[in-house]
Amino acid sequence: MEQRFKYPPSVEDAVSALGDSAVLFAGGTWVMRAPLRDEDCEKTFISLAKIPELHLVSVNDAGVKIGALVTHHALAAISDVPEMTALVQAAGRSANPAIRRMATVGGNICAKDFAAADLVPALLALGAEVEVQSFEGAASLTLEDYLQTRSTRPSTEILTSIHIPRHSGRSAHARGLLRQAGEYPVANVSVYLEPDQNGAINAARIAVGSVESTPKRWHALEAAVSGQPFGRLSISDLAQSLTQEFTPRDGVDAPATYRLRILPRLVAQAFADAMGQLERSA
Amino acid sequence: MGVDFTLNGKPRSFAGDPRTSLLHALRDDFRLTGAKDVCGEGFCGACIIYVDGEPKTSCLLPVGALQGTEITTIEGIGNVDTLNPVQQAFIDFDVVQCGMCFPGMVMTLTHYLKDNPRPSRAEVKAALTGNICRCTGYERIIDAVMSLHNSASGEVRT
Repeated sequence: MEQRFKYPPSVEDAVSALGDSAVLFAGGTWVMRAPLRDEDCEKTFISLAKIPELHLVSVNDAGVKIGALVTHHALAAISDVPEMTALVQAAGRSANPAIRRMATVGGNICAKDFAAADLVPALLALGAEVEVQSFEGAASLTLEDYLQTRSTRPSTEILTSIHIPRHSGRSAHARGLLRQAGEYPVANVSVYLEPDQNGAINAARIAVGSVESTPKRWHALEAAVSGQPFGRLSISDLAQSLTQEFTPRDGVDAPATYRLRILPRLVAQAFADAMGQLERSA
Repeated sequence: MGVDFTLNGKPRSFAGDPRTSLLHALRDDFRLTGAKDVCGEGFCGACIIYVDGEPKTSCLLPVGALQGTEITTIEGIGNVDTLNPVQQAFIDFDVVQCGMCFPGMVMTLTHYLKDNPRPSRAEVKAALTGNICRCTGYERIIDAVMSLHNSASGEVRT
C-alpha cells in the first residue's frame, strides 16, 4: 500500500514525494484512464486527499479562494458569488453527476493533454490566479501564464489553490455539444462582462476551450467589444470576423472546421446570458 | 498491509495493488458482478456504486483511495425478498432489456430520488446524464421513475 499509493499529510510532503516515477492523484478521473492513453501505468499515486486546506472554498470581499481538490459538484453549489456564474455553470454542466462528484478543479487545470476542460475557460474569464508550490516554495501567477507554460512546468510542482478576485460584472459559460449532455464539449466559451455607467462594455474577458489543445483568452474579440454599447453589439458577426485567431484541432468527436463554425454562436449565447444577468441585477 | 473498508455492510480488506480500480476489485476479488465493466471512462454509468452514500463510477476509483469508507453496490441496496423500490418499478414497467445499464441506473436513481422525491421528466433525464442505455429504453425507464411519486404525499418508497 505505502509503496504504490501515498497519502502525504502536507503539501510540502507531497512535493517531496513527487518525481518521475510518481503521479499526483486528485479526483482520479484523468489518472485512472492512463492505460487507455497507452501511458506509463506503473507510477506511484501521490494522493492529496489528506491535505485539509486543499478541500476548502473561502469567499470574502477580496476574492474567492478555491482549494485544488474542490470538486465540480461543490463548485456547482456555490450560490453567493453572482459574478462567478460562468464557473458555477461550467461545473454543474460538465460531464455527468457521478464524475462531477469526483473530478477536481486542480485536475481540470493540470491535465495538460485534456483539451475539453470546462472549468478552465470559466476561470480564465474570471481573471483567476493560481498558487503553486515546489521545492522553491509557493508562488502565484495568472492562470493565463500558467497555461502558457503548462507543458513544461516541473513535475515536482503542485497547484494548490485558485484565487478569483471579486468583480462587479457578470459571467456566463456556453458549451457546444453533439448531444444534449454527458460528453465533452466540441467547443466552449466563457465570458465576463462589466458595464460602464453609459451602458457600454467597460471590461470584457472572453475565453475559449476545446477548440485548440489548450484553452485561451480571445484578446482580439475582447478588444473589439470593449467600449461598445451593449444595445448595438453584433457579437456573433464580430466573433465570426476574428476566428482566424484560432488553429482548431481535429478530433474523433468533431473536425477542426466544425469547432470554429459553432464558435460565434456560442459566444453570442454566453453574451446573451451574461447581459441578461446584468439587466436583472441593475 | 491492505485497504480496509465496509462493503455492503460487512468489513472487508483488499491486499492487492492499491491502484486497482474498485470495479475490478469488486468483480474479480469480491465476486460482485452487478457493477458492469463497460466503457472504463466514466461516461456510461454501468459501474456506479456508492462511496459513503454518494454515487461514483467505480472504474475510476482506485481501491487505495477507499480506506475507511463505506461502499454499497447494487447487491447491497435490496434483497431477493424486498427489492429496492426503483428495482421493483423497473420490473413493473418491464424496463430491463439487455441488462448492462440497469444496475447503474438503479444506483443513480435511488440516490437522486432521496433528495428529489417529485422530479419532472426533464429532471429525471438530467439526473440520468451519466447512465447510457444502448437498447434505448429511456422513456420506459422514466415512466417507471415517475410511477414512484404518484402517492398523495409525494413520498418515495425507499
